[in-house]
Amino acid sequence: MQDDTGLRTLTFTATREDYRIAWLAALAITIHIAESMLPSPLPRIKPGLANVVTIAALLLYGWRAALWVSLLRVLVGSILIGTFLTPTFVLSLAGAVAAIAVIGLGCLLPGRGLGPIGYSLLASMAHIAAQFYVAYRLFIPHDALFGLLPVLMTAAVCFGVASGLLVQAMMKHLNRDASPSDPAT
Amino acid sequence: MTRADYLVLAGALLLLPWLYASFWHRGGAGEEVRIVGSDGKETIASLSEDRELRVQGPLGTSVIEIRDGKARFVSSPCHGQHCVHAGWLHLGGEFTACLPNRISLAVVGRELRYDTINF
Repeated sequence: MQDDTGLRTLTFTATREDYRIAWLAALAITIHIAESMLPSPLPRIKPGLANVVTIAALLLYGWRAALWVSLLRVLVGSILIGTFLTPTFVLSLAGAVAAIAVIGLGCLLPGRGLGPIGYSLLASMAHIAAQFYVAYRLFIPHDALFGLLPVLMTAAVCFGVASGLLVQAMMKHLNRDASPSDPAT
Repeated sequence: MTRADYLVLAGALLLLPWLYASFWHRGGAGEEVRIVGSDGKETIASLSEDRELRVQGPLGTSVIEIRDGKARFVSSPCHGQHCVHAGWLHLGGEFTACLPNRISLAVVGRELRYDTINF
C-alpha cells in the first residue's frame, strides 16, 4: 500500500491464534511479575508459577503456542521488571529455552506420552540445569557453586510437581483431556 | 498420570540422591601447602609429611608446622598474630598470611581452588 507521503503502510491482521497467545502470554507475564515481588526463602529459588501457563498452553494449543508464551514472558517480563539484558535476563532466557526444548522432545514420545506432571517436571529440571550451567560458565566459574546444585534441583523437582498438579487441576476444570491433541503443531 | 509421567518422576527422584552424594560429600581435604615468602619464593610441602618449616621474613623467622595433614603458623614475629590465631588449616583453598612478615600459607587440594571470590 502506498499513501500520499510515499511511505509504505504495513497492515497486520491478527489471527485467532495470535490473540490466544497474547492472552496467555499476558497471563504468564502477570504471574511472572507478581512472583518476582514475593520474598523468596533462598535467592534464585522461586516457584515458577508462570510456567503453569506455558504447560497449559502446550496441552491446549500445542508446542508452538507454548514456545511463544514462554519467550514472550521472558522478554516482556524482563523489560517490565527492568532486568532486560542483565545477567538475570540471560539466566531466565537460558532456562526458558532449555525448558521449551525439553518439552519439545517430550512431545515426540510415542503412545499417550507425557501428562501435565511429566511435562512440568521435565521443564522445571531443564530450566534449573540450564540456568546453573550458564551461571557457572558465564558468571560464577567457581567449583563451590556445585554445592548448590542438589538444593536447586530438589526445589526444581518439588515446584515442578506442584506446578504439574496445578495444571492438572486446571485441565480438569476446563473439562479437557489432559493429553495434547496435536503436540507437533 | 501416564506411564511416561511416572518414569520422569522416578528419574527425578533417583537423580536427587545421586546429586547429593556426588556434590555434598567431596573430600575437601588438601594435599599440600604452598608457602610464599617475602622474596616471592614459593615452597611447596606435602601435608602427609609432618615437619616444621622456618621461613625468613623482613621481621624475622616465622615457624610453620605441618602435622596430621594440617598446617599452621606456630609463631611469627609480627604484632597482630592473626596468622597464628588462624589456627590449623586443612581444607583445599584455605589460606592465611602473616602480612607484616610477608609470608603466606595456602592449602592446595587436587586442583587449585579459589580462596575467595567476588562478583
